[in-house]
Amino acid sequence: MKANKVAVVSSAQVELRPRWGGAQHIDLISAVVSSVFKGIGLTLDDVDFIIDSGSDVLDGRSISNCGFLGAMGAHHKEESRVEEDGLWAASYGAVKIASGAADVGLIIAYSKPSESNVNEFYSTQVEPFYQRPVGFEHLAASGIQAQRYLADHALSKEDMAKVVVKRWQDAANNGRVQIDAVPTVEDVLASGDIAKPLTQQMMSRKVDGAVALLLVSEDIARRVSKKPVWITGMGDSIDRHAFSSRASGTLEACERAAAAAYKKAGWTEVKPSVAEVSASSAVTECMVLEALGLAAKGKGAKLAEQNSGTAINLSGGALPADPIMATGLVRLSEAYRQLSTPEIYGLESPTSAVVHGAGGVGMQTHCVFTLEV
Amino acid sequence: MLARPDTYAIDMEPLKSSLAMPYTLTPGRAAGAFLAEVANRRIVGSKFKNSGKVTVPAQDFCPISGDAEFDLIEAPATGTLTAFTETQFGLIGLVRIDGSDVDFPHQILGARYDDLNIGDRVEAVWSDEPVETSILNIAGFKLSPNAPVGQIKPLENPAEQVEVVKYAIDLKYEHAFGPYYGRMFDEIKNNRRIMGVRVPDGSESAYLPPRETCDITHKQTGTWVEVAHTGTVRAMSIINFEFVGQKKKPPYVYAEIKLDGASTRLIHNVYLPDFTMEKAKAMVKPGTRVRAVWSDKRTGSMDDISHFEIIDQ
Amino acid sequence: MGRHVGIVGVGQTHHARRRTDVSQAGLVREAVNRALADAKLTMDDIDAVVVATGPVLFAAVNQPEKWVADAIGAHLKPLVRITSGGGTGFAGALGAYYQIASGQHDRVLVVAYDKLSEGALQYSISTLYDPFWGREFAVGIMGFSAAYWRARMDPLGHTEEAAAMVAVKNRKHAMSNPYAHVKKEVTVEEVMSSKELAWPIKLLDVPPISDGAAAVVLSCESKAKESTDRPAWITGMGYFCEADNPPDRNMLLSEPLALAARRVYRAAGITNPRRQFDVVEVQEPYTCFELSYYESLGLCEPGGAAELVASGATSAGGDIPVNLSGGCMGANPIGAVGLIRLIEAATQVMGKSECIQVPNAKCALAQTGGGWANLRGVAVLQA
Repeated sequence: MKANKVAVVSSAQVELRPRWGGAQHIDLISAVVSSVFKGIGLTLDDVDFIIDSGSDVLDGRSISNCGFLGAMGAHHKEESRVEEDGLWAASYGAVKIASGAADVGLIIAYSKPSESNVNEFYSTQVEPFYQRPVGFEHLAASGIQAQRYLADHALSKEDMAKVVVKRWQDAANNGRVQIDAVPTVEDVLASGDIAKPLTQQMMSRKVDGAVALLLVSEDIARRVSKKPVWITGMGDSIDRHAFSSRASGTLEACERAAAAAYKKAGWTEVKPSVAEVSASSAVTECMVLEALGLAAKGKGAKLAEQNSGTAINLSGGALPADPIMATGLVRLSEAYRQLSTPEIYGLESPTSAVVHGAGGVGMQTHCVFTLEV
Repeated sequence: MLARPDTYAIDMEPLKSSLAMPYTLTPGRAAGAFLAEVANRRIVGSKFKNSGKVTVPAQDFCPISGDAEFDLIEAPATGTLTAFTETQFGLIGLVRIDGSDVDFPHQILGARYDDLNIGDRVEAVWSDEPVETSILNIAGFKLSPNAPVGQIKPLENPAEQVEVVKYAIDLKYEHAFGPYYGRMFDEIKNNRRIMGVRVPDGSESAYLPPRETCDITHKQTGTWVEVAHTGTVRAMSIINFEFVGQKKKPPYVYAEIKLDGASTRLIHNVYLPDFTMEKAKAMVKPGTRVRAVWSDKRTGSMDDISHFEIIDQ
Repeated sequence: MGRHVGIVGVGQTHHARRRTDVSQAGLVREAVNRALADAKLTMDDIDAVVVATGPVLFAAVNQPEKWVADAIGAHLKPLVRITSGGGTGFAGALGAYYQIASGQHDRVLVVAYDKLSEGALQYSISTLYDPFWGREFAVGIMGFSAAYWRARMDPLGHTEEAAAMVAVKNRKHAMSNPYAHVKKEVTVEEVMSSKELAWPIKLLDVPPISDGAAAVVLSCESKAKESTDRPAWITGMGYFCEADNPPDRNMLLSEPLALAARRVYRAAGITNPRRQFDVVEVQEPYTCFELSYYESLGLCEPGGAAELVASGATSAGGDIPVNLSGGCMGANPIGAVGLIRLIEAATQVMGKSECIQVPNAKCALAQTGGGWANLRGVAVLQA
């Protein structure tokens, strides 16, 4: 059966800020929903369905999508909440269009981590009998991941700090993230231990934000866009819950998700023009790049320093700006922009992208997309 | 990127709220057995029948094979440190109890981060005071350099498994008001005015609470407009039971009221002197006219309205 | 509309007021084992998993799918959690439906559960409300449900007696459901004189609080025969919403439900629901909702619900039996009930209902809902 093709034809995002103190969730959401239609010849009336990503625990509200439906433009449309990183919402939207059931999907993801204690978002994820009482949660998992990775590949904290600096610099250049100052390697190393050997700035910085994308069927794509960005492959995979039970030194679920996406895309080698990947820390960003096949094991940090073929995280990625539930969808939005308006990024003629989103303590679950123009 | 409403900037302290509630969690067979025995200073694991794998602490499902059939075993209190880190929650290590096929996390006691090495032998430290139904009956693990390698053995005379673990969450939030709610509550607090924004349908109806876009059309809402303090009950019910977190003592009338000038409803209470169920049913119905009665409070919330009273027709 | 998708295996736990023998993970495993056995498959045959549960505050574990993944046996499989208040179980199945219809996967396991005994339900539900506006006055979903019922009473004739008849009917049907845990018949008089909780809602209008899990295996057409000769084909399925407080929100008719029904009926070729459906399963968080559903689903005219239930047409033996499973009155593990409605509808057309089987059932209707009664789903299953 030949599945219908699905394309991204528009995206909109508010500036990602450590704190959007003057706005509620619905203000951020309605801003991106209003904006995503501008200039492309589609309106909210053309939207068949909405899929959204958000978290009750971050929002401080049960069934939080229920109170935001109007801002999402979902009134009297089909809507579904995926309580997972936004890339999974895009995945749901894509299969719905590919099945022929709908033509135009609005995908939304948002979070305001500034409104709560984000540690609790993660600590409430670990099971409550063995892990939560002993204080094991995302920070501990991240610290141990770092301990192992640095030891396995004879890398130093300074190597990780260089990755952080590069990403912050790219985010500052990109301009869709609020950045007051780009840290130096010394700044990163001196930013205080948070999960030894990781320092504060080696972990992704949580920010408030919202992002919306329009996914459309092939017919609509060719009508509205000169350069639709096609989703050619999708894969996702979840690892074991207990971090201590997962294969050490590797992100097995990321490898599996990537393999599934590449297979669907028919890629026999992994040489995308651009990559936008998520990460919980500088260490896991390196591990993700390796799991995606963009770098050999232990060489992820080297890749950050010199782009070889694939332009990695031109947006800065998640290290400078991690809006938690929206991170993967921001990656999709950024990759879409890089493929559809490469000149803004100083890219020649990029033809493909890998996009990655993740969730859970120690990045338990991963989602990978391949895009092509 | 946000459009600006036609109002002045208001610097409001965020609204503090919390999600705090009690729980009675069910640990299941494996954790239930572990939690029961850890109070007796015994460490319990699962030995899975099909795969032969051992997990300490006990698990219902083998994380390696997915197997669900297991026997409970007693594990030694010694093991090996396989990884460690230090966070705000302490010095946390992964411990592989002798005989177990998986690691588990716990606190490392009596040592500093720089003292530790992967491969160190460790030994459980029991809590001085019993901790109800908790893995914290093991206070943590300490370095034990020459600890001999222990053996797992079948669990003899298991204690009755724990069926309920008391738990609670207390999540705190600070919600930004944003420009719309900010102005609305500012007016309520300081001027006792109830204001919404015009629904973008050409009528003079107001959105209450106000927001940037219309919920139905997603068009930008209009300018600010004041609504009356009188209105009509659209729906009501009589609350006659108690629940955790309830603010008012039952029985009382719950009402969804459309203030004159608003197009949306708000939830509040209608107060009846000499309350009886029959009186409430007879006097408060869809269509009943009511008026807001303000309390002395000026907190900048709907609570500043004490209740609604019936307007005699 | 893409590939055909059918339900080929189902399973549910024996729901209970409180399961003290299993954690959330254990509850899930039970349902999964039963569904896989029913479908004659193992987890190796499953390409992806969708987990659906009620709001995380119900049971104190955030993103619980990440915990119960191990119990499901989903190591390294695609897995996502879809959540939609009370309609979650159904919304999860809808997500899985598209995964198969698109060709992304061939067989998807949908798991839905809630262990409501773990937490303080009404309070958790009250946190559904905006902290700025309404939460302080909220009374879970009972408060507004009762208020909307009151608003329907006079114009539509949804009397307390008519709702009581729903309670009588569903509790009687539940007696024959091996998975229900509330098995006590009641009379209209008993319902009418039961304690007023949020009048007009009274104690016997209210479903129980339950621990329970349900699981369903959905399959593409080419692989369905490996599980069953008679899949329940999903010929139409949709899940619509309305904004929570739009101008002049209609309380008489559920607009999202009517929209969902219209869309789904068209997809499934339903032009006369009263006559074409052999059996119906609806999710009634309170008895009053069932009356409203009859009208919004087009089983009768607006204002005709009281007469419909009084006529016995929606009882076992009637021409449009509704909730032969007992609906929520027999068991109410909220996150699962939407999927249980699909299970009960599916097993009817598959000819293997464990409740009162409608002879020769070929066409079934399943309905679900959640939130502030503003999320509504409808599905048509045919064999």
